[in-house]
Amino acid sequence: MASCDNPNVDSDALMTRRQKYDGKTKICVKCKEGAGNIVIRYAVYCKTCFFPLIQMRFKKSLEPSINPVPDGARRKTLKAGGSLVVAFSGGTGSTALLDLVAKTYFPVRNNGETLKGGKDHPRNADQGVWKGKPAVCYVEVCGAFPGEKDRTEEIQNMVQRYLGQPFEYIPLRLEDSFDPMWWSTIRGGESASFARTLRLDMTDEDLRLTEASSSSFNDSPLNRLKAYLSSLPTQTAFHSAIQNLIRLLLLHIAASRKASHLLLGTSLTSLSVNLISGISQGTGFSVSEEAKEEWYPQPGRGMPVRVIRPLRDIGMKECAMWDWWCGLRVDGQTRHLNGSWKHAIGALARDFIFGLETDYPATVSTIARTCAKLAPKHGSEGTCVLCERPAQDGVQEWKSRISIRSYSEASSAVSGNTRPPHLNEEEISNLTKPSASSTPANSSLTPHLCYACHTLLTSRSNRGTSAPLPTGRAAEKISLPVWVNATLAASRSPGGDEDSTPGEVVQTIKMRRVDMKSQISELLLADD
Amino acid sequence: MQSELFDPGDRVAIGASGGKDSTVLAYVMKTLNERYQYGLELFLLSIDEGITGYRDDSLETVKRNQQQYDMPLKILSYDELYGWTMDAIVSQVGRKNNCTFCGVFRRQALDRGAAMLNVDHIVTGHNADDIAETVLMNIMRGDIARLGRCTAICTQGEDTVRRSKPFKYAYEKEIVMYAYFKKLDYFSTECIYSPDAYRGHARAFLKDLEAARPSAIIDIIHSGEAFEVKKEVKATQKVQRKYPPGASESNALCKACTLLEGLERGMADSGTTDRGRKRLDEAGPAPENIRTIPYFKLPSGSPAIAVETPS
Repeated sequence: MASCDNPNVDSDALMTRRQKYDGKTKICVKCKEGAGNIVIRYAVYCKTCFFPLIQMRFKKSLEPSINPVPDGARRKTLKAGGSLVVAFSGGTGSTALLDLVAKTYFPVRNNGETLKGGKDHPRNADQGVWKGKPAVCYVEVCGAFPGEKDRTEEIQNMVQRYLGQPFEYIPLRLEDSFDPMWWSTIRGGESASFARTLRLDMTDEDLRLTEASSSSFNDSPLNRLKAYLSSLPTQTAFHSAIQNLIRLLLLHIAASRKASHLLLGTSLTSLSVNLISGISQGTGFSVSEEAKEEWYPQPGRGMPVRVIRPLRDIGMKECAMWDWWCGLRVDGQTRHLNGSWKHAIGALARDFIFGLETDYPATVSTIARTCAKLAPKHGSEGTCVLCERPAQDGVQEWKSRISIRSYSEASSAVSGNTRPPHLNEEEISNLTKPSASSTPANSSLTPHLCYACHTLLTSRSNRGTSAPLPTGRAAEKISLPVWVNATLAASRSPGGDEDSTPGEVVQTIKMRRVDMKSQISELLLADD
Repeated sequence: MQSELFDPGDRVAIGASGGKDSTVLAYVMKTLNERYQYGLELFLLSIDEGITGYRDDSLETVKRNQQQYDMPLKILSYDELYGWTMDAIVSQVGRKNNCTFCGVFRRQALDRGAAMLNVDHIVTGHNADDIAETVLMNIMRGDIARLGRCTAICTQGEDTVRRSKPFKYAYEKEIVMYAYFKKLDYFSTECIYSPDAYRGHARAFLKDLEAARPSAIIDIIHSGEAFEVKKEVKATQKVQRKYPPGASESNALCKACTLLEGLERGMADSGTTDRGRKRLDEAGPAPENIRTIPYFKLPSGSPAIAVETPS
């Protein structure tokens, strides 16, 4: 009979569920003494062994990436090339991460504790792994969700419980990504690129760009953020755009603080969710970046930032147990579970992976390990201006090859029968006429985007968008995040990058004897 | 067209199951072949697994297609090739591992059928939904080798005929719509022996993704095409064994023969588990009187077998 005791169900048709834990007893598999308190992937651990186990996995994921050049098997002193930024959202993963970072690398010294070897001993002279003061960075997203409360102060209180630790709290807001003042602050007062600002036409698949005067900055960053998010075609795009903005805000703030490492509290479960969600949105080319990423700010803007997820081998359940047993307060958000959010791909992937974790716990780590073995297949065409990740060659050609995107292309490719049967010749000829407003490449955002970001801005669904555009806003004039504006403005300005310069200009002039002599004059001995 | 799958004069077998995908594929191949003078010689190739209530009905559809499309048809049955029907296999092995037998046997049967028809190429009706589902399944199962090749439009093994999936970018919905508007005749049913809960999860998830954003299916395929297995991982991968452990080339059996030997000797798990394999090895060499798959000698020239031609 089937395990559900229904005599009508064939027992063969059901998968037999594996026992919750291996072995016959509930004794801890590590110390073999204590009674087990938690089951991690079929193995039983006691509370005493749980803490060193998690700390060991945390260090194993982080420490090989701390030194600028990996040490190999013989590990030397840990010394990072720059400072540290820890991203903190108040959720399960980042709460555990901050606690682990504080306890492992910034332990509070008791008053009576003496230094071993004296204060000038090399061990004590420069104790920190990272340079400068570590920062804890929080991005407040309430601007994107009307009615949601601002948690900046709550989060500050959560960070401040680490009394005696040198953490600096940096609150950011999602709308900062549309604030030229913020951009100017983190770029050391630079604001030249905002003499001209670009607006995006979201009504057209070409994603045409138009220039607006600097007076358009009268609009508040919050309104610009709302207009940008509301103009996105799907719930999925809305959700992913916010993730992108948070990621880029963190990266830019890290670069501005000369940070060598940005730590994210992504657990193994969240990593698998991100991977499946990303692959479902076409980010296959940068799938390896999801687990481990080295982000380069624009040339001459500082050292690369290593984005590390030290909890990538620790499941969300273990993170939650760490928080619980350490008495840490978690301020989680549950907006994904409600309303139209549940129809976004990110939320669907989350539900799917959480379901799998219950029924098939090994699958979650299999997803992460499989994706860690993948690398981009083709060459990169540069960096996407929106997500600042490598962009693949020939994305638009691929898209036009697999679908009929315009009748003019279809009719030029093959004749006659591929034309739509419901239209007459005149209607077809109107459709196949080249558009009068066909855009030159440099006035469209499309060539500067990766596959996933182009899809994010153009792929539609009959479920529609999240919210209507704010009053007085037109979908033809949508502001772009400040870094997109800066990158595009730099590429359009004379002497910008290679896109705008027509090529090296060479002038040939016959050299005179006098000029030739002047070039080597320092080497010649003076005539007596 | 841009994948350059065919050359003029190619002999192409269409893997026909009687379902919507292969029916539309046969119709489209025939239509385009005539309209654009591809010069292809088309055949229908069906495999009869011997599943009562599933395959016997859908084969009737294939026979009707043969008449409608005026193409030669070859039906090759597991019973004819292996002496076992899937009904008989399931009665011995149960429902848990029966897909392993069916999959291995079908692959070999298609190759045998292609060789009998002396074709250069087999085309199958796998659609975009199938490919996207396979990408997700291979990631979830950690099947790196298959993940690397599952998005290829055309594959060819060392000793097998070329296989292509011309509907790789066609959504299941588009295929159903095409069949509906063209009033095509097809059979729709799920295999009664495949209660794969895991695949069911993936399928349901994919449908949710498609509802959230219809481009999700093609986006997954794009992702699958954009990545590959890292070179250093490839270097450490074991080459897939052609023969079971301990077997040399002279006494080696292919996977289909190993499975068949297990069935014949009443130790069906020998092809699916290491423990079963060990038990089979301990039982000594195979008796003389068991059924085996006969060696196949490729006939020279035109097909040496009788194919059912439309009357």
